[in-house]
Amino acid sequence: MPDKSSDVVQGTLDMLVLKTLALEPMHGYGISVRIEQMSKGVFRPNTGSLFLAIQRLQRDGLIDGEWKATENNRRAKYYVLTKKGRQRLSSETREWGRQAAAIARILEAS
Amino acid sequence: MSLLRNLGSGLRSLFRKEKVNRELDEELGEYLEMAADEKMKQGMSRRDALRAVRLEGGSLDGAKEIVRAGGWESIVDALWRDLLFAVRMLRKSPGFTFVAILTLGLGIGGNTAVFSVMNTVLLRSLPLPNPQQLVFLRLPNDPPTGVSSTGDSDRSFSYPVFDALRNEHAVFSDLMAYVPLAVGKVAVRIGEGPEEAEGDMVSGNFFSGLRVSFTRGRGFTLKDETAHTSVAVLSYSYWTTRFGRSPSAIGQTIYVKGIPFTVIGVTAQGFYGLEPASSTDFWIPLQNRPELNAWEEEPSPDNVYGNPKWWCIQLIGRLEPGITESRALAKLDPIFQSATLIGLGTPDRKAKKSILAFSSTQGIQGLREDYQNPIHILLAMVGLVLAIACANVSLLLVARNSTRAREFSLRMALGAGRTRLLRQMLTESLLLVGGGAALGWMFAMSGSQALAAWSGVEIPFVLDSRVLFFTFVISIACAIVFGLAPLRSAVGVPVGVTLKTSKATAYRDRKSSWSGKVVVASQMALCLILLVGSGLLVHSLRNYQTLPLGLRVDGLLVFGTSPFSVHGAEEKEHFYENLLARLRAEPGVESATLISHRLGSGWGWNSVWAIDGVKPQGPFSEMGMSANDVGPDFCHTLGIPVLRGRDITDADSRSAPKVALVNETFSKRFFPKGDALGHSVGELENRFTIVGVIGDSKYKRVDEKSKPTLYFPYTQHPSIANMEVELRTPSNPDALIPGVRAILHDLDPNLPMQKPMTQRAQFDESYSQARLFARLSAFFALIAVLLVATGLYGTLAYRVGRRTSEIGVRVALGAQRQQVLWMILRESFLVTGVAILAGVPLAIGGSRLMRSMLFGVQPGDMISFLLALFGVILVALAASIIPARRAAALDPIVALRYE
Repeated sequence: MPDKSSDVVQGTLDMLVLKTLALEPMHGYGISVRIEQMSKGVFRPNTGSLFLAIQRLQRDGLIDGEWKATENNRRAKYYVLTKKGRQRLSSETREWGRQAAAIARILEAS
Repeated sequence: MSLLRNLGSGLRSLFRKEKVNRELDEELGEYLEMAADEKMKQGMSRRDALRAVRLEGGSLDGAKEIVRAGGWESIVDALWRDLLFAVRMLRKSPGFTFVAILTLGLGIGGNTAVFSVMNTVLLRSLPLPNPQQLVFLRLPNDPPTGVSSTGDSDRSFSYPVFDALRNEHAVFSDLMAYVPLAVGKVAVRIGEGPEEAEGDMVSGNFFSGLRVSFTRGRGFTLKDETAHTSVAVLSYSYWTTRFGRSPSAIGQTIYVKGIPFTVIGVTAQGFYGLEPASSTDFWIPLQNRPELNAWEEEPSPDNVYGNPKWWCIQLIGRLEPGITESRALAKLDPIFQSATLIGLGTPDRKAKKSILAFSSTQGIQGLREDYQNPIHILLAMVGLVLAIACANVSLLLVARNSTRAREFSLRMALGAGRTRLLRQMLTESLLLVGGGAALGWMFAMSGSQALAAWSGVEIPFVLDSRVLFFTFVISIACAIVFGLAPLRSAVGVPVGVTLKTSKATAYRDRKSSWSGKVVVASQMALCLILLVGSGLLVHSLRNYQTLPLGLRVDGLLVFGTSPFSVHGAEEKEHFYENLLARLRAEPGVESATLISHRLGSGWGWNSVWAIDGVKPQGPFSEMGMSANDVGPDFCHTLGIPVLRGRDITDADSRSAPKVALVNETFSKRFFPKGDALGHSVGELENRFTIVGVIGDSKYKRVDEKSKPTLYFPYTQHPSIANMEVELRTPSNPDALIPGVRAILHDLDPNLPMQKPMTQRAQFDESYSQARLFARLSAFFALIAVLLVATGLYGTLAYRVGRRTSEIGVRVALGAQRQQVLWMILRESFLVTGVAILAGVPLAIGGSRLMRSMLFGVQPGDMISFLLALFGVILVALAASIIPARRAAALDPIVALRYE
């Protein structure tokens, strides 16, 4: 089966999860779908990596989880950004922008 | 915050594993369902949809593993599983586990016990607040000439010096004085019968300045010192042993030499006072009564409380925070110098000046100097034992791991990582060390008590945190030494080779068998060093034990008396005459005499006496003499031969002409022509006629050189000291004690029999240190021999076992039994030879370090070395003969079918 999706750049999955949750609280599957949609299918996170990132963010106090009913009457754990998570997202976004711009400049120069 | 949260969440996963797992399962399950729903909406069947999700996102179980392995708790979890597995593996071979833990326990326990001695004697601070501020005051040059001093002349000060120094508050926040009531114990009475106890008289600030805390009641005040109040403080250990920790001890009266004192306090547990190596039972404020004179000295105008010429009190100071010792001494020196002159009249300008110094309060004062070198040597010895023990366990582990090589290969073939296996084996090693350390700690607890009893130190060798830390460090060192070394060879084996080979021809490279031999050879070399060392020490002990003492030491009972209610020389003479008469009539007593300084106790009376009115000139080392006051029948009772003239008799009374005995050394030194009889000795005015020349005998201790010695009748001095009684009996001396006690009680109910013991035991005390070290080193050597023997035996037996098929082939091809025997023996002889070549130079070097501990034997003593060599060879032979014979007796048919 053809798989065009690439792996998420090392260390950026956490930031992508935070960004997804900044829009609205979401469950694990929703996060995965949202990342795929927003990246236009470039990124499709592996299930294990995704839940590992979720566990990590939760332990760092950046997100909180809560079991709720979904629109399809299933039960799922919804994650919501904490205040600390929001701060982290904005600082990481800024940092990423700086780095990406720098890398782009280097690549253009050659 | 997030660290705490992380910790909490991790702990939750660890301890509520089920619930957390279920939650994760549920969440992932929902994920799967939602993803599948999505696919089904696009028209897939449910089966296809589930399959597609798994293909795209990875399997659910894989995801679970990833998430679980992500937290720190997974490492703990894995270690826990390793630990359980290790326990299971060790339980499967209980013999190996038992031997390994026992071996390590002996090694670690021995080290811990010896270190606890070192800790108590050399390192430990006084159990008081801010102990680093406390210093003992010392007189390295001795007190000024012309004063009365004690046996502890380098640490005894006068009252005026104490008064002058204690006011220097810029230097000392407190300066405390203490002085023993007697050399040993003093007569006390608490209930009905007389007893002995060890007591100190102390300044009023003694407890407050040292900051001793109290279990019950209070300490002394300055008023107690100036008013010499009749109050007493008990030590916790005396309160425990004598009063059974009864609260009613407070307020009770104890009679010290018949004088009543009221108990007002009990010190906190762990404070044993300041007397070296002994535990003080009670303290009273400094007293001015002549009956309670310091050191139980017979009061004379020169040595009573307050007399500036009586240098008897010992001082300990608490330095002001921040002042250095050198600055403190600089400030104190002028005050000290002027205070030393008080009461001495015009000082002799030529005389050596006394100087003030500090000494550390760490360890046990007095013992520190004597024990420093021996303890380091003992620690080195017991360290060697530990090294041998570790080597043994490492050999065991190597052997065990190589029989497990197939298991390891199988596990690696099944996908276990190399690090995983290493971790597994390390866990097993750590478990063994843990068991060994726990066992060693138990050994050390009983061992250090035994050591304290053997060494005669009353202060318990506590196993405190420093000792615990030491044990921890050596255990870790053990784990590294033997835990890591064997691992590499175990997991370094290529998987395919081991799985394919049969047991008999199992993979074995030359290097690993070679390294095994090196380990055994170094063990034997270490063992040789231990055998030489302990041989030298045991030889020294034999020398102490067989040294001629110059008297018939067996069948003598000695005890002390202090008739404190008898005053004046006449009355005292009468008391002792009466006592001797009663004792002579006692059944079992052959003869009885008196002596002022107990033989073999380490205490004596040294001076230079005039001969025919002229003091011999020359250095003290040559002209110094010893003297003792003795009673009638002195030579007869002690069994000292009278060479010329006569013994002291009952006729040598107070009113009779003054006489003296001299020993042979005295006669030879001062009367080389042998005409000592009839000459006089003594003070310039107070002359004693020599009436007898008697054989040399030991005075203060067994290992002393014989010194010119005088014996005066005890009756013929202006005052009479408290005398020790010597009884000669044809039977067991200890059997006399009850009868003697009854006689003493009859004479005075307050009178205890002080420190009764056989004269042999008293002389033995003078080399108790040598005995302790000889016993310990012999014990260590024995352990080393056992370890080396089992180590060598185990190695050879294991190798013979592995070579069974090879030997079978050899025998089948015509090898003779002797050839097989020799093949195995040759290997162990080779190892022994290398060990001896390496060990002898090391042993020579090591024995040189022990020179100060040896008595009558040279470090290079041939006999000790030969015995040690013989011992090592014997061990090698004994350990290798069984495996060699087993190999030689192999039936080739059985051997070839051995697989």
